[in-house]
Amino acid sequence: MHHATAKPLVELREASKRFKSGTLALRDISLSIDAGEFVTLLGPSGCGKSTVLRMVAGLDSPSAGSVHAPALTTDKVSTAFVFQEATLMPWASVFDNVYLPLRLQGFAQREVKSRVFAALKSVGLEEFASSFPSQLSGGMRMRASIARALINDPKILLMDEPFAALDDFTRQKLNDDLLRWHQERAVATLFVTHNIAEAVFLSQRVLVMQARPGKIMHALRIDEPYPREPSFRTSMTFLNYCRELSVALERAMLTETSAR
Amino acid sequence: MKRLTDVMLPIATLVIFAMLWEFGVRWADIPSYTLPAPSVILHSLIANWPSLAASWWFTLQITFGALLLACSGGILIASVFSLSPALERAFFPIAVVLQVTPIVAVAPLILIYVDSTTAALLICAWIVAFFPILSNTVTGLRMTDRNLMDLFRLYRASPWQRLRLLRAPSALPYFLAGLKISGGLSLIGAVTAEMVAGAAGRETGLASRILEASFRTETPKMFAALALLVLTGVLIFMLFTALSRVLLAHWHDAEQLTDTGRTL
Amino acid sequence: MVWRLIQSLMLMATLAGISHAQQAVTFATNWKAQAAQGGFYQAVADGTYKKYGLEVTIRQGGPQVNNRPLLPARRIDFLMTGNLLHSFDNVKNGIPVTVVAAMFQKDPQALMAHPNQGYENFSALKNAPIALIAKDGQFSWWQWLKVAHGFKDEALRPYNYNLGPFLSQPKSIQQGYSVAEPIYIEEQGKFKPVVHLLADHGFSTYSTLIEARTETVKNNPDLVQRFVDASIIGWVNFMYGDRTAANARMLKDNPEITVAEIEASVELMKQQGIVDSGDASVDGIGAMKPARIADFYAQMVKAGLYQAKDVDLSKVATTQFVNKQVGVELKKTLTNVQAMSKN
Repeated sequence: MHHATAKPLVELREASKRFKSGTLALRDISLSIDAGEFVTLLGPSGCGKSTVLRMVAGLDSPSAGSVHAPALTTDKVSTAFVFQEATLMPWASVFDNVYLPLRLQGFAQREVKSRVFAALKSVGLEEFASSFPSQLSGGMRMRASIARALINDPKILLMDEPFAALDDFTRQKLNDDLLRWHQERAVATLFVTHNIAEAVFLSQRVLVMQARPGKIMHALRIDEPYPREPSFRTSMTFLNYCRELSVALERAMLTETSAR
Repeated sequence: MKRLTDVMLPIATLVIFAMLWEFGVRWADIPSYTLPAPSVILHSLIANWPSLAASWWFTLQITFGALLLACSGGILIASVFSLSPALERAFFPIAVVLQVTPIVAVAPLILIYVDSTTAALLICAWIVAFFPILSNTVTGLRMTDRNLMDLFRLYRASPWQRLRLLRAPSALPYFLAGLKISGGLSLIGAVTAEMVAGAAGRETGLASRILEASFRTETPKMFAALALLVLTGVLIFMLFTALSRVLLAHWHDAEQLTDTGRTL
Repeated sequence: MVWRLIQSLMLMATLAGISHAQQAVTFATNWKAQAAQGGFYQAVADGTYKKYGLEVTIRQGGPQVNNRPLLPARRIDFLMTGNLLHSFDNVKNGIPVTVVAAMFQKDPQALMAHPNQGYENFSALKNAPIALIAKDGQFSWWQWLKVAHGFKDEALRPYNYNLGPFLSQPKSIQQGYSVAEPIYIEEQGKFKPVVHLLADHGFSTYSTLIEARTETVKNNPDLVQRFVDASIIGWVNFMYGDRTAANARMLKDNPEITVAEIEASVELMKQQGIVDSGDASVDGIGAMKPARIADFYAQMVKAGLYQAKDVDLSKVATTQFVNKQVGVELKKTLTNVQAMSKN
């Protein structure tokens, strides 16, 4: 549950994005995320979910409307980003990859060695500190990427379909782990996916988007408390949530075809 | 075991080739001033070793000196280009001009403008070796992963941090590819320049020995000097191949070994 | 119509028969056509070679061209070389060629300097800061200059047959033929250079030598004799007779040269006694004395270019084709005609 009285960590007010090519990717997106919340953007491919993420990260700016996010202030960096590919530096060891954000902030290696190892331990990679990305499996690389994201205790974690390239089994395991890390650190998370089951399992709120131009056309609150057991996945409530999202998604895709 | 066969196979081929050459020359009674047999060449190599060795050392110095200058120049200018697209657009055509300039035509001119013969030879070898390193490094610096660039932006990395920690390592495989090419070219440039423009006294390399032997009709000596040149080329290639493997093996596709031990 | 055809065919056959009586000979020189090769071009242009039953093709040399390997490789029949050092090298390395005539009694190889720079004395040349020497000289007579006259490698700069560096640097010296380069230097640099002939300082080699394969000398001496004799006659006519046809021929082979330059060069050749002095004025152009060859070799051994036993001097040259006063009478006739026409 979140408390409506605290100021939201992230706020978009009627943010629109038109690309240089003329395409209107997003129109009047309004959303807010409170500290510690887990919010998912769900939608078909090309609906602009990644663009929203990039705007919150400060990597893109809106053509109209406003975006307020920690990344856009001059405070020290408290935003983390996890890409769909693990995006590790292939020439560096796992340790060096996780150390990178601290290094860029100016910390010497010996100062933060224990922190890095702690982060590796929390994602279960402490034995692979000196391995190189090419020696790890896809799931392990994603863990390293998450360890890197969490190393400097971010206030908000942005994740762009991070588990899409993994097999179902690994994905579910990582879903469990992600919730654990989310709870341990109380980090707000904006998660992008087109997988309904994943959205329901992970989030407190799911925003369904339609494409071209991107718009939020449905919001769903999931009241299941944390921590969420694997048994949640097979419960009736879970199924109902999934159905509701499924219907919403279908409508989203219909409006898209009719708009052509 | 496999490593051993890797090494033995080319050596065996060379030995067989040399034997065929030796017997062919003897059987056809070819005079040594036309095509000397390997035994005659070896004899000449040993007999002339002092002067050949000194010349070899000089050629090596020019080759690696020019290569070092080409690397520093190439890396420096490529970095500048990567930080300023405007400068790149302005000066890249000049680099291309350097690439297509025929050294054979330009070497005598450079010798007129530059007083020291050694400096002139260095310049000629540099001209030939410079472009592949520049071009490959520029490409490599540009080939940085998009997402990693975003990541560095997110963490507010300074341009210097970005260059040092992201662009430079990304560019390394490309740079090394350019280096492999430039190594051989630098040798060719050094030899060609000396052959076309000439050199004198103590500042002479293998090219001068080849010319001298040719003018004095000492064909076995000419072949001996040529053999040293060829050996140098091979050694340079092997050196940079090994360097590439050492630096890249743990992460780059080009140097990865598959389960069967063959490179991809 | 048919008869005409048969007549043409018969004519062609006869002509073909006649041209077979002319022996095809290729003669390679060591530079592009210039006055220092004039006698050979004369013999081609005025039909002297043809009179001796030879169809001679002259194959030019040049700055990047080295015709010497062609002789032992049997691609040419006769070769022109610039000095005896090449012959010594040949014998030392077992190459079966030998000298059959020496058209120049003096080697025109010289060092040139700017006037009024203190190089009026030969001994001053070794202190020049820059000596422009080409590769051919660098590996032969320059070595002799170092040992016999104290020249230093530090001064040596590669000479690529471009007058620019010499003209623009007053303290520099450069190599050249005493009968050629001074003319070009005067044209381009507008000054008369100081010329020091190496021959005047101990470089006593013969020059513009004709070389042939030893097998040709052994198996076909008649061919060699005809070629040598015709070449000698060619030189006499070139030096003392009407050389317009020869000049035209040289211009055709080397368009960069002019008739004025050729004429000036001939004058210098006469003044300096390059072709026709000493033994040649008595025994005819092409004359050779074994004693002189041996003496030159001894000097080169002293200069460290060779070890005494490197070269079997008997193989270097053969005098069987020269010293026969060929052309001496002809020269007398031509010079008398000139003297008479002057009166």
